[in-house]
Amino acid sequence: MVRVKSRYLLCEVNVSDRSHLLLLDDRSVGAAVKDAVARTHGDYGAALCSVRFCVKYLNAHTGIVFLRFPKRCYKLLWSALPFITSVEMRGQKIPCFLNCLHVGGTIRTCQKFLIRYNTQQLHRMLPKCKNEEEKQQVRRSILNCSQAWGNKEELEGEGESGEDEEE
Amino acid sequence: MPFSSSHVFPWPPSSSMAVFMDLNIRVDPDKSKLQRLIDTAAHLGFSTVALNYVFEPSTKKKQEIPVPTPISELIGELPVVQGRSRPIRVLNRLTVVTSDASHFRPNAAEYRRFDLLAVEPTTEKLFHAACMSYDVDIVCISVTEKLPFFFKRAPINGAVDRGVLFELSYAAAIRDSTRRRYTIANAVCLMETCKGKNVILSSAAEKALELRGPYDIINLGSLFGLSDENSKAAVSSSCRSVLLHAETRKTASGIISTSRTDQQEALQDQTDPGDEPSAKRPKHS
Repeated sequence: MVRVKSRYLLCEVNVSDRSHLLLLDDRSVGAAVKDAVARTHGDYGAALCSVRFCVKYLNAHTGIVFLRFPKRCYKLLWSALPFITSVEMRGQKIPCFLNCLHVGGTIRTCQKFLIRYNTQQLHRMLPKCKNEEEKQQVRRSILNCSQAWGNKEELEGEGESGEDEEE
Repeated sequence: MPFSSSHVFPWPPSSSMAVFMDLNIRVDPDKSKLQRLIDTAAHLGFSTVALNYVFEPSTKKKQEIPVPTPISELIGELPVVQGRSRPIRVLNRLTVVTSDASHFRPNAAEYRRFDLLAVEPTTEKLFHAACMSYDVDIVCISVTEKLPFFFKRAPINGAVDRGVLFELSYAAAIRDSTRRRYTIANAVCLMETCKGKNVILSSAAEKALELRGPYDIINLGSLFGLSDENSKAAVSSSCRSVLLHAETRKTASGIISTSRTDQQEALQDQTDPGDEPSAKRPKHS
């Protein structure tokens, strides 16, 4: 059996104010990507981007996005991503940029990477905690990450709680 | 290199393969803005950044070369780099925009306060001089206008031999579409002559949102006509060679250089047991 091959880009949406991240939705990110590709690569890019491009997953709390591109032309489409300067979310134009963290051939490898990355973020968060209670909570989340290795649902929940603490 | 890098820089460790650097971040008098820039750079995984002071001499009135503010005054606490346990390293850099030969004063004492020295020539003659004779680390390629001259083989080969690197910055390309065209056109023009060697890619970012992640920059290099490995080198190993070149430049024009001290030590080692020959010499004469 031969399967249709794709590349999954694991990107992080960076905004200046983290509370804007909650406005994210997959359609707006997809539209921003398509727009940037059309601007940099013209009709050819837009045509390539219309075939099997989609936003596979989006976490509004951590700002993580999975983008699927056809394997044949993912480099060309990826080269348009740095030119995204803003995403229009619910009528608001929010300046942001996409930072690509990982390129994978399957969603599974991206997920593995994401768990590792999120654990790392929790570790970075630990010294910033203000009181002991927060510290305990982050420590528990880190422990949960290593216990639930591969259990994505649980990690997401923990990632959220950690994120809220930082605010 | 005549010396091992560990002599000069205790960091980055030689074992690590890819250490990303961004050698051009516009310095901003607004400290909170600068802090946000540095924080973002550390979050993206850049382990070294250079704060860029631009000096543009004009013929009408005499201007002072800017004096770098100490890093500790500009930035409160250096953030820890993503994926590493060390804080980010911040350097100072001066870019001299020259449109006349008198603008760049070699051996000016003011230049020595900066860690890195770059020059942005605007005419072909100055470009030739910058590549062949100026004592600088980086030659900036203008990205905001169409180049008034073509790159010739001779100066570019001379710069490659001397270890001077060419810098392309991408922030202008992000800002608007006409400058994107100029950036790509000038970049492709440069790559035709230098074949992707001795190029660094840097941001020239004024705002935190104009920075891009290292992997995005590496892929962006393909738009500029760089091959994969060359564009990877453009954000990591080439930047490292800029730092090493800056170190040699400083010491060579100063009093003592690292390579010289090694030689002197070797000489001393030779002369220490060899006191007798020098004592014998008067007898011969």
